[in-house]
Amino acid sequence: MGRRRRRVDREAAVGPLPEAIATLSRTLPAGPSPEIFRRAKFDRPEAAPALWRLLFHVLSLLSANGASASAAQEAQVRMVKSELRSQGYPRRALAQLPEDGSQGSRELLLALAWLLARGPLLERLLAQTRVPLGDEIPLFEGVSLVPLECDALARPSPSAPHVEADGPMDIRHLQWLMGKLLFQWRKLITSQQEQCALLGKIHTYTRGCHSDRSLGHLSVAETELLRDAEGGQQLLRRLERENARLEAALQWRCRELVFWRWMDTVLGTCPPEASHPTFLPRIPERGTGELELVARELQALQEELRGAVESRRAAWEARVGGWGPEWNAVQWASWEAVGHELAALQQAWEPGGAAAQPHGPCRLVKSDAGASRGPGLRAAQVIGVLRSREACLEAVLCQLQRQCRQELAKLAGALPGLIWILPSGH
Amino acid sequence: DPRAGRERGGREHGAGPPGVLSRRCTPPRLVAELRDALDACAERQRQLDRSLRVSRRLLRTWEPAETPAPQPTPGPETSEEAPSPECTPSSQELKELELLTQALEKAVRVRKGISKAGERHRALSPKSGSTATSASTASAPSRASGQAGCRVSETKPPRGIQQNVVPARGLPECRLLSAGDRTRVGRGAGVTKPGPGLGDQQTPPSAGLRAPEAFTLKEKGTLLQLPMAYRKAASRNSRLWAQLSSTPTGDSVDAATAAKTQFLQKMRMTAGGPSSGLSAAEVDAEVGPLRKACSLLRQRMEEALSAAPADGVQEFHRLLTLEGLQAITEQCLHRLQELRAAVVGQQPGPCPEGRRPRASLPCGGGTAPLWSPQLLLYSSTQELQTLAALKLRVAMLDQQIHLEKVLMAELLPLVRAQEPQGPHWLALCRAAHSLLCEGGQRFPTILRDEPAN
Repeated sequence: MGRRRRRVDREAAVGPLPEAIATLSRTLPAGPSPEIFRRAKFDRPEAAPALWRLLFHVLSLLSANGASASAAQEAQVRMVKSELRSQGYPRRALAQLPEDGSQGSRELLLALAWLLARGPLLERLLAQTRVPLGDEIPLFEGVSLVPLECDALARPSPSAPHVEADGPMDIRHLQWLMGKLLFQWRKLITSQQEQCALLGKIHTYTRGCHSDRSLGHLSVAETELLRDAEGGQQLLRRLERENARLEAALQWRCRELVFWRWMDTVLGTCPPEASHPTFLPRIPERGTGELELVARELQALQEELRGAVESRRAAWEARVGGWGPEWNAVQWASWEAVGHELAALQQAWEPGGAAAQPHGPCRLVKSDAGASRGPGLRAAQVIGVLRSREACLEAVLCQLQRQCRQELAKLAGALPGLIWILPSGH
Repeated sequence: DPRAGRERGGREHGAGPPGVLSRRCTPPRLVAELRDALDACAERQRQLDRSLRVSRRLLRTWEPAETPAPQPTPGPETSEEAPSPECTPSSQELKELELLTQALEKAVRVRKGISKAGERHRALSPKSGSTATSASTASAPSRASGQAGCRVSETKPPRGIQQNVVPARGLPECRLLSAGDRTRVGRGAGVTKPGPGLGDQQTPPSAGLRAPEAFTLKEKGTLLQLPMAYRKAASRNSRLWAQLSSTPTGDSVDAATAAKTQFLQKMRMTAGGPSSGLSAAEVDAEVGPLRKACSLLRQRMEEALSAAPADGVQEFHRLLTLEGLQAITEQCLHRLQELRAAVVGQQPGPCPEGRRPRASLPCGGGTAPLWSPQLLLYSSTQELQTLAALKLRVAMLDQQIHLEKVLMAELLPLVRAQEPQGPHWLALCRAAHSLLCEGGQRFPTILRDEPAN
C-alpha cells in the first residue's frame, strides 16, 4: 500500500503537472492558459494581467455583489486587494503591488492557491455560474436586500460625497424614500404572485413532458427552448460548457495533489516577508459596527432577563417552602422539559440548525398533492419554517418599535400643552 | 432626486405640518441605506419583470414565425414523411425553415378545404415514449381506432388504456386531419422527437392540428418533447452535479487535503501581515448567528413573560425557562467578547467557541455544501404563492429591522439634541414617530391644548 502510494507520488511529480494545471484552468471561469501559471512561478510580468483579471473575476463572483467586469484595470486591482484582505489573506507583498496591474504574477498565483486551499472554491464558482434550467423562487436571503448586514453601520459612508452634493436634506426626504420603498415592495409582491400563477400554469400544461420522471413537467427555460430554437441552442451550448467544467472539476479532485506539491515550490521561491505585525492596519472592520449592535442588544436582553428572573425567583422560593417530596419528581420533569426546549431553541441559530431551510436554489416541481414520496423538499415544510421565521422577525420589529415609542413618548411627555394622538391599530 | 423627493414627499405625506422642517442634514448614512435598499428592490423587480415577460409570452399563442413549425408537408397528398433523425438543428436546417414555413402556409390553405370534407385516410403515428405517460393522466378524449374522424362520437375510453393517444385536453373540437399534420412542436428537426413506429397503430390522433400558428401551451403543451441533445446534456449535467456533491474519498484526496493545510500554514508563517485576528468575512459569519440568537431569545422571553401560569408547575416551568434564557444570553455575550477581542486582533489566535473552519467562507451558514440542486415540490399554485409571499415577507422584515436599527441610531439622537417645542421640533418628532414606530405608514396627530386665558 505504502509502496504503491510512493510510486504514484513519484509519477505524479514528473508528468502530470501540466495536466493538473490544465484541468484547473478548464474548471475556472475564463481560466487563463496553463502557460500563464508556469510563467507566474517565475514572476514574469507578462503573466500578471491575465491573473489579475482571473482573480477579479473569481472574487467578484464569490462576493456576488456583481462588480462589473468592465471595471477599469486599477479598480480591478484595488478590488482584488481589498477583497483578499477582507478575507484575511496574510501576505503583505500583494498589497504593495502597483495598481496598474503590470506586476505580481507570482503573488497572484499564491493568492489563487490560497483561495483554492481554503475551501471548496471551484464548487462555489460553479454553483455561482450554474446554468439555470429549472424554475426557482429566488432566495433573497438577507444579503441582497439587506446591504451586507455588517457593512451598513461601520462603513465610512461611501455615498456621503454625493449626498453632500445634493445639498442638505430634511426628514421629508427620508419619508419619501421610505414611502418609495414600501411601494416597491408592494409591486414586488404583486409581480411575484403573478409569476407564481404563470409558473403553475406552465407546469400544469406541460405535465408529463419531461424526460426526467422525477421532474415530470417542463420549466420555463425548457419550454422557452422549444419555443425559441435559437435561444435553445444557446442554452444547450452553455449547458455543454458547464458540463465540461464540471468534468474538469471532478478530474481536478484526482489531480490536485501534484499541483499542491508544485505550489509548495512556488512558495519556496519567495523570500519570507519581514514581520510587521502592525504594518497592515486591519480595515476599519466592517463587522465591528454590527458587532457592537448585537452586543448592545444582547446586553439589554440580559438586563431584562435579570430583572425578570430575580423577582420571580424570590417569589418562588417564598412560595415553595413547605412542599413535599413528590414535588421533586415534578421539578425533575420540568428541568428536563425546559432543557429540551432550550436546546431546540439553540439549534435554530446554530449553523446547520434549520434543516428544512433550503440553502441553495431549488428547482420547483409541481407534484400532485398525493405524491409525497420521492426526494425533495415539500413546500409545506418550507412554509412552516418561513412562518416561524416571520413570527420571530415580527416580534423583533414590534419590540424595536415599542422601544422607540417609549423613547419618543418620554421626550414628548416633557412638553406641556401637547396632546399626542397615536394612529389607531395599537 | 432629492428635490423631487421633497416635493413628492410633501404631497404623499401631506398630513405633516406645513412649513419648514428640520434644516439639519439628514444623516447621509441613512439616505445611503435607503437608497441601497431601493436599488436592491429595483434590481429584483427587473429580474422578475424579465421572467414575467418570458412566462407571459409562453402562455400566449406561440407566434408562427418563431414557433412550432409542424412537420414539413408539402401538401395533404403526401402521406408519410420520413421521421427526421434526432439531431440538433444545424444552421442550414434553420435556413431551410423559412422555406418550410412558406410551404406550410400553402399547406394550411389547402387543408382548410380538405378538412371540411372530414377526410381521413391515413393512419397516424402516435407518439410514444415520455408522452405516453402523460396520456394516462390527461383526460384526453381519445377515440377508438378505426372510428372515423368524426367529432360527434367522442366516446371516452377508460383512462390509461390507450397509452399511445396523444392527449389533447381542451381542444375545442376534434379537428382531425391528415397524417402529415401530426403536431410537431419545436423548430427544426432536432427539436421534436419523431414518434417511432410510425404508422403501426391505427389510432387516430386526437390532437391533429390544423393551423400551426394556433399553438398554445394550454391546449397542446403536453405534446412538447425536449430535443434529444438537450435531454442528454441535462441528464449528464445532473449526474455531474451529484458527483460533485458527493464527498470525495481516497488516498489521493487525503494527501491533497494534507498538502493544502500545509500550504496554508507555510504561507501564514512566511507572511509578514498580521497572523492573528479574524478577517471581516469571518466576523460576518460569526455575528450572523449571534444576531439571530438574540432575536430568538428575546422572542422566547416575551412569550414566557406574557403567559399566565395556571399553577405552580407552570410557574416553575416559566422560571426555569427564564433562567435558562439568561444562561444562554450569558454564553452569547461571552462569545461576543471573544469575537470582539479577535477583531481587534490583539489576542493571539483567539478562537471563539464553536468556530468552524468553514467560518472563513463568506457564504456562511455553515451548512454542509450541497452543490446539486434540490427539488422543491409544491402541490398547487396557491401553495406556491404562499411560499413566495412568505419568502418576500421574511426578506422584507429583515430589511425593515435593519433599517429600523439604523433609523434608531441616527434619528433618535437628532430628536434628543434639538431644542424642544418649536414647530421644527414638533415636525421632526412627528416624522420620527412615523418612521420609527409606524414603519412610515401612519402618523400621529399632535394637538396643542392652549389654555384659555
